Amino acid sequence: LLNIPHLCPQLQNLLAEKVEQLMEWSSRRSVIRMNGDKFRRFVKAPPRNYSVIVMFTALQPQRQCSVCRQANEEYQVLANSWRYSSAFSNKLFFTIVDYDEGADVFQQLNMNSAPTFMHFPPKGKPKRADTFDLQRIGFAAEQLAKWIADRTDVHIRVFRPPNYSGTIALALLVSLVGGLLYLRRNNLEFIYNKTGWAMAALCVVFAMTSGQMWNHIRGPPYAHKNPQNGQVSYIHGSSQAQFVAESHIILLLNAAITMGMVLLNEAATSKGDVGKRRIICLVGLGLVVFFFSFLLSIFRSKYHGYPYR
Amino acid sequence: EFLIFIFPLPSFPLFLSRFNYRSTHHLASHGFYEFLNWFDERAWYPLGRIVGGTVYPGLMVTAGLIHWILNMLNVTVHIRDVCVFLAPVFSGLTAISTFLLTRELWNQGAGLLAACFIAIVPGYISRSVAGSFDNEGIAIFALQFTYYLWVKSVKTGSVFWTICCCLSYFYMVSAWGGYVFIINLIPLHVFVLLLMQRYSRRVYIAYSTFYIVGLILSMQIPFVGFQPIRTSEHMAAAGVFALLQAYAFLQYLRDRLTKQEFQTLFFLGVSLAAGIVFLSVIYLTYTGYIAPWSGRFYSLWDTGYAKIHIPIIASVSEHQPTTWVSFFFDLHILVCTFPAGLWFCIKNINDERVFVALYAISAVYFAGVMVRLMLTLTPVVCMLSAIAFSNVFERYLGDDMKRENPPIEDSSDEDDKRNPGNLYDKAGKVRKHVSEQEKTEEGLGPNIKNIVTMLMLMLLMMFAVHCTWVTSNAYSSPSVVLASYNHDGTRNILDDFREAYYWLRQNTDEHARVMSWWDYGYQIAGMANRTTLVDNNTWNNSHIALVGKAMSSNESAAYEIMRSLDVDYVLIIFGGVIGYSGDDINKFLWMVRIAEGEHPKDIRESDYFTPQGEFRVDKAGSPTLLNCLMYKMSYYRFGEMQLDFRTPPGFDRTRNAEIGNKDIKFKHLEEAFTSEHWLVRIYKVKQLDNRETLDHKPRVTNIVPKQKYLSKKVGFQ
Repeated sequence: LLNIPHLCPQLQNLLAEKVEQLMEWSSRRSVIRMNGDKFRRFVKAPPRNYSVIVMFTALQPQRQCSVCRQANEEYQVLANSWRYSSAFSNKLFFTIVDYDEGADVFQQLNMNSAPTFMHFPPKGKPKRADTFDLQRIGFAAEQLAKWIADRTDVHIRVFRPPNYSGTIALALLVSLVGGLLYLRRNNLEFIYNKTGWAMAALCVVFAMTSGQMWNHIRGPPYAHKNPQNGQVSYIHGSSQAQFVAESHIILLLNAAITMGMVLLNEAATSKGDVGKRRIICLVGLGLVVFFFSFLLSIFRSKYHGYPYR
Repeated sequence: EFLIFIFPLPSFPLFLSRFNYRSTHHLASHGFYEFLNWFDERAWYPLGRIVGGTVYPGLMVTAGLIHWILNMLNVTVHIRDVCVFLAPVFSGLTAISTFLLTRELWNQGAGLLAACFIAIVPGYISRSVAGSFDNEGIAIFALQFTYYLWVKSVKTGSVFWTICCCLSYFYMVSAWGGYVFIINLIPLHVFVLLLMQRYSRRVYIAYSTFYIVGLILSMQIPFVGFQPIRTSEHMAAAGVFALLQAYAFLQYLRDRLTKQEFQTLFFLGVSLAAGIVFLSVIYLTYTGYIAPWSGRFYSLWDTGYAKIHIPIIASVSEHQPTTWVSFFFDLHILVCTFPAGLWFCIKNINDERVFVALYAISAVYFAGVMVRLMLTLTPVVCMLSAIAFSNVFERYLGDDMKRENPPIEDSSDEDDKRNPGNLYDKAGKVRKHVSEQEKTEEGLGPNIKNIVTMLMLMLLMMFAVHCTWVTSNAYSSPSVVLASYNHDGTRNILDDFREAYYWLRQNTDEHARVMSWWDYGYQIAGMANRTTLVDNNTWNNSHIALVGKAMSSNESAAYEIMRSLDVDYVLIIFGGVIGYSGDDINKFLWMVRIAEGEHPKDIRESDYFTPQGEFRVDKAGSPTLLNCLMYKMSYYRFGEMQLDFRTPPGFDRTRNAEIGNKDIKFKHLEEAFTSEHWLVRIYKVKQLDNRETLDHKPRVTNIVPKQKYLSKKVGFQ
């Protein structure tokens, strides 16, 4: 702790006192709340031999900053991981400055957006890279940990408290299905219902062939609204991308064509009134032909230089 | 008789996949054992690569074997010709095995249709045009044939068919890493059959034999080795094997016990067996006997995984998720109709249709996650669509009771494939055919039937036109030669790649080492015959990261890396002159990301963005970007070049921006070659100077200059 020999004893005492105070706070809560005075005393003022990570934020409900709350959760996860890790030491502290408790700090640092993460190194002033690039990397605890490792050489392994909501939902679903099965235990015919299974299989197929997985991974907007004239376009102009609305349209078209094919088959095989079967047949045919032409025209509008004019 | 369909406009691309060709050539000229021991010192300099142990040898061995047999028969062909024509031959075999499989699943008519579909469908034709010499081409044949034999062995329960299935599986393992799909799908099939209480002796015999023999055979491939018992990808098969044994044992007990006793024992036994298998797999994974899922497979389940943890996987365009447009582009009408086939299969379920349903659902999921896996989806789509279409044709082309295989069916496909213009002839024939039987039928009447048939044929005709268009436009142009179109539609061939590789081959030392991004590694090795640092076999991430670091550092830092790697030349692709978007500047962020993954202290992705978080090459771009090696090499002397009168000099057509650093000077490199359209630029790395020059001016001091001294002397005299 006190291996800085050239400090005079008075400063050394001051430093020891500060570190002790910070350690006491952080043993109580993993993130230390700061107001303007505390911030100036512990974070800004020398002497320091520790790094401080500060989250500037606005958590009061009247500020209506939902991003701040999400960022705060991640920050707490990170601070807890550090607090309860075996490498925990007095070289790094996590603190928080809320706008409503330390507005003067915000003014002093010329800061006009929250949340912001900053690192205050043991020596000297924070540089450009000491401000976390929130816009680009996001505020996941892992990214924060990476940034801290980069700035301070302290490696934090993020340990998330296991998320039970998924497990609980699954358990609920299983118990629901189980309960349903138990209630209907005398009549389990519906498990052998081929139509149900076939429907489920087709749902998977339609979801995949209409590119829902792409939506899931890339997260495109639902549709695009032109800011100039307010026109909404549902179909993306390029063949490399798609909107969510577009994929839903495609899903419906695919399903309609499949249904047409099935109806054609039904019309020919079922035993019923001939007139009715004729209508079914024509409806099926109409579905196939009409919706396939529609699909083709959407494809052509996206894929330039395609034949069939 | 349907082999005539299979050669779709072979337009003879002259460039094979260079690495495969090179190793086949090595195999043909040095023999099999020499090939297995081949250490390729021209790749991954300075590490080298043990090719025999890190490659699926099926493709090379197949080509080598055909070459050897032909030469035994005194048909002297060059190994290159064998390689060029291997893919069409195998696509023919794929069509045959698809026919056989569909015949087992449905009937002969559907089989014929399926064979026609797979012969022309764009999703598969990309791998089957003459000259595409890829593992996937032969692997799809092996896949389909293995499935056919598996269905056959489940149907018959004979050990003979199962052993055939194992041999085919062995061939698949030797050809492509996608064999993991088989070794998971077949156990899944067995598992679902057990759940559906469709267990039978046949299933037991088939799966037990397949698992044991297939396991032992697959371990004979050097590259696979002990993976089948050591990795998680293969554990499902082992688990199902154990479960099947337990199930069979309980079935045996059933004959000995009363019904009541058995029921309790059965549920206890099955759940106990499942639990034990599951727990032991988890235990073995934790203790390290079984390797966890490898990154590539893991990213199929957790779709966000690769993006965060393995940039090198995420950077490959083939590993991107699939939009509906690429589904439609590759499958056209089939993508809309195959769900109908799936519907029919599930409605009339039996053992083998369970298999095809599982195949369809799993393959469609994988194809949705990765564009590349469209290849495994294509065969099943062809089969199920064929079932849907053949069902319709069967009902509407006449008397559906008697004839199993309506004669019109194959002729209709034939004409839709060969010559759409002939359609009217055939339709006329159809009408006559139907009206003959109209009187005996109580059904829909001839008009409706004719209309349905005609429209269906028209759909198939459109499909054929689509396939022809895709084949002639998208897939049959070799990737080494680029084509561009003028306003009047004439075609320009940009042959810069070949020009550059030929230059390398002729003008550089035979042992020169060329640094480039890994995409071009195989091409440089194959066409220029020079040593490369990294190539398309991306097995060593840290080595690739080192190259990425060199590209994204400034010149002097990069020079140190290049000196330590003994680099003689650096090759980059620059598309700014012609507007080619696949160039290195567009790939550059991936280089930075991969380099950052290994060297987070030296390379930071954020340094390459503007403060607003944009990636720009113009004046507003970040200074780190504007001074890194890749930028300097791409835009060296480009600032002097005015492409047309509307744009300023140094205007990059790919990124539509005027470059920000026009005054580029090199200290350690010199331009060696730039191709006609600037597509390929090659730089030579200079040797160290004999005398270290100072990078600053000598300090001016107030030491008295000579003249003054002289004058002083004069003054004294």
